[in-house]
Amino acid sequence: MYRLGVAAVWLYRLTLGTLFPTTCKYHPSCSQYAVDALRAKGLVRGSLLAGWRLLRCNPWSRGGFDPVR
Amino acid sequence: MNLASLIVASPLTPLEHAARHSLNWLHFSLHLPWAWSIVALTVIVRMLLVPLTVKQIHSMQNLQRFAPQMKEIQKKYKQDKQKQNEELMKFYRENNINPAASCLPMLVQLPVFIALYYSLRAFAREPAAQHPGSLSFLHFIPSIADHTTSHWGGFVLLVVYVASQMASTLYMSTTMDKLQRRLFMVMPLVFVFVIARFPAGLVLYWVTTNLWTVGQGLITRRLIPKTPAPTLMRKTSRTPPRDDGDGGGNGAKTADGGPKPSQPRAATQPPRKVRRKKKAGRR
Repeated sequence: MYRLGVAAVWLYRLTLGTLFPTTCKYHPSCSQYAVDALRAKGLVRGSLLAGWRLLRCNPWSRGGFDPVR
Repeated sequence: MNLASLIVASPLTPLEHAARHSLNWLHFSLHLPWAWSIVALTVIVRMLLVPLTVKQIHSMQNLQRFAPQMKEIQKKYKQDKQKQNEELMKFYRENNINPAASCLPMLVQLPVFIALYYSLRAFAREPAAQHPGSLSFLHFIPSIADHTTSHWGGFVLLVVYVASQMASTLYMSTTMDKLQRRLFMVMPLVFVFVIARFPAGLVLYWVTTNLWTVGQGLITRRLIPKTPAPTLMRKTSRTPPRDDGDGGGNGAKTADGGPKPSQPRAATQPPRKVRRKKKAGRR
């Protein structure tokens, strides 16, 4: 089931992701984090984790090393 | 409507309505033509994002001061990209740097883009009576709801799109490495073939937002004085602009003994409070 989410991330990476010249302030990047989270926690919890990470990836956060735990 | 588009469309319907309402308001209340309503909507969205971008530009300039050290780290871990990234993140953390780029401001624009796409598609499908007024733009694009390539004016718009996208990349990518930057410069040339199939109004949105980015870059560069980066970094005896409070974190990492400029700087520094206060005040 999580493959659906991973496919969605790749779809984004190959299409809209190329439109925006940004590099993520975290390592791994938001999209990689999403893939990792989906693999480790499944579709629902993985998506929630990825969403929460995206919200954290704002100009007021510090960024840094932040893998899926 | 097939199942897949139903799944995608249902959460986006409110977005489409919001975009359509905003466009209607701009068109009927402010009497803007449809094409200019799109431009106005884009400008409004970007204005709402100004606090985010200003913060981003500030931190980008802050980042430039540390550029020499970061280059050193990049050189040191040239072979291992993963390790390089981790080391850079560690460096950010130690020096209290907030990297410029972040995903959220970019993602805020995404729903707007999608909502515009849907409302323009609706424009093309519904009878003209539902959107009275001309759909043309500056006399060279007959309809913003049509495919961009359906008229020669669309090709002009596409050229402007590529140019503006490249220009905005130039302004937003100062922290990227060269290869990445080159990739992003080439990207619009590839993407233009995809975007050509979109309604012209969508390309208009993209051109507007790119031009806004360029303008914002120009203004902020002029307003915010350039940081005296290279001279300040070479004098290693200077105090760092901010103290993390502990030299211990750095000291532990000197085990590999690499003579990085940042480490001796932090290690040989006795904590002189008066000086630090001055530096902190200057920031």
